[in-house]
Amino acid sequence: MNVNANPEDEVTVKEYFGNIWRAISTTFKGMMITFKYVYSVKPVTIEYPEVREVLPDNSRSRLFNNADDCISCTQCALVCPVDCIYIASTPRSKEDPELKTSDGTAIKQNLTQFTIDTALCCYCGLCTTVCPTECLTHTTDYEYSQYTLDTMMYDYLDPEVRAWKDRLVSK
Amino acid sequence: MNQVMTEEKLKTELLTLNMGPQHPATHGVLRLEIKTDSEIVAEVIPHIGYLHRCMEKHCEHLDYRGIIPFVDRMDYLAAMNMEWGYAIAVEKMLGQEVPRRAEFIRAIIGEMQRIASHLMFFGTYAIDLGAFSPFLYAFQDRENILRIFEEVSGARLLYNYMWIGGVWNDLTDDHLQRIALLSDEIEENIKKYHTLVGENEIFIGRTANVGIISTDLCYQYGLTGPVLRGSGVKWDLRKNRPYSIYPELEFDVIVGEGKKGQVGDCWDRYDVRMREMHQSIRLIRQCLDKIPAGPIMSKVKKVIKLPEGEIYHRTESARGEIGYHIISKGDKVPYRLKVKSPCFTHISVLPEIAPGQMIADLVASIGSIDIVLGEVDR
Repeated sequence: MNVNANPEDEVTVKEYFGNIWRAISTTFKGMMITFKYVYSVKPVTIEYPEVREVLPDNSRSRLFNNADDCISCTQCALVCPVDCIYIASTPRSKEDPELKTSDGTAIKQNLTQFTIDTALCCYCGLCTTVCPTECLTHTTDYEYSQYTLDTMMYDYLDPEVRAWKDRLVSK
Repeated sequence: MNQVMTEEKLKTELLTLNMGPQHPATHGVLRLEIKTDSEIVAEVIPHIGYLHRCMEKHCEHLDYRGIIPFVDRMDYLAAMNMEWGYAIAVEKMLGQEVPRRAEFIRAIIGEMQRIASHLMFFGTYAIDLGAFSPFLYAFQDRENILRIFEEVSGARLLYNYMWIGGVWNDLTDDHLQRIALLSDEIEENIKKYHTLVGENEIFIGRTANVGIISTDLCYQYGLTGPVLRGSGVKWDLRKNRPYSIYPELEFDVIVGEGKKGQVGDCWDRYDVRMREMHQSIRLIRQCLDKIPAGPIMSKVKKVIKLPEGEIYHRTESARGEIGYHIISKGDKVPYRLKVKSPCFTHISVLPEIAPGQMIADLVASIGSIDIVLGEVDR
């Protein structure tokens, strides 16, 4: 059967009505499937602002650095393919009291800056895999759009930004 | 006084039309300069480069692990397949062993990605030809696949999941069970979709005998993947140049048979992709049966330095043959990373098949070769 046959070609009566029958029957079959979807399938679209999807636990959304546990090793900044992590630190003198992270690693540097340019971040997750104290993690928080680019620079020593620790998208 | 215009005195010229770069039928940012003679296309000149992001050059300044997020972004609809090819190329050069479980996980995830990509093709192709709801149905299934990817890797589109020497996270038993259920569900749905779209007389009228790519043309232009198989050439790298665990698995290479028109028309290319999804499900089921326990990541040096030399490795992506040519001078970064893109060669065949078509048929032809502009330009 050649459906794209030249219209000037002779078509027998049988072929003519056969074409019409095929067009109607196949479209009808398709319409049956469509109606099945209309009446028997529940809507799957999430009504976003009212209903918020909870992402899986290891979903890679906004980065969060728990600055108390950071030992300023700069491994995350080195491995970052887009260089969006800025770290500055000063060495601690021996007179200062000993500081330890929650997993017992000694802190030998005073963290003075830990900034992530979230607008530049590509969410590849490489920085979280190299972190020795596991203080840099991806959270499942995905609602943080901003009006200007410079407000996407997050300084994790800022008390306001530290408070995000518990901020997650609620149901 | 009326001047009688004879046909010789009439000046005729071809009308130049721009299709794209923001045209929805060009799947991204492809600009087609079309010279039309009324509604018949006389000439097509594709202009590419609107999505060029200097990826290959950028990779020359990144360590081998950091390149993986970048190869993701080349073909964003089949990112897992892109990562897989790159990972194999680097592993071969390093002489790195990959744990057996990781190979199976890669095969499962890679085939699921192929299904997701083909579903995307199915949906957008139906939109190109004027049917909207198949797109939404296809996205429901694709969404289920992406949800599993998100739970496994953490991202929905750009995964960074297949690492050099293994995979990032393990698939739990729960995941494996859900993948098994999902493949049953998708198999049912694909049959439904084929009845809805592929068997529809209007769809057949739009695609059969349109945009015929002959076997010779395929060889001349170096076409690969579903486009090549749609023209009736039995060539699949998973079968002909097997890599990973494909030699142990059973599947058929799908070729176009010209059921509704000539071999190599748009309907054949559509049909090849639909039937390939069934083969992918078959592969997933075999992998689920055979998957062994064990580690998922082998020991890789912290700083990867490839030995001096070069390698070209090609794998079968959802869109065709994806090749990585890595030249190393023994540093932490590659000296050169060249990606052989299947979509680039597929676009180059458009000027060959387009002349003589209606403009609407040209849209059907572009859709049927399933291009992703991110991969064309890189």
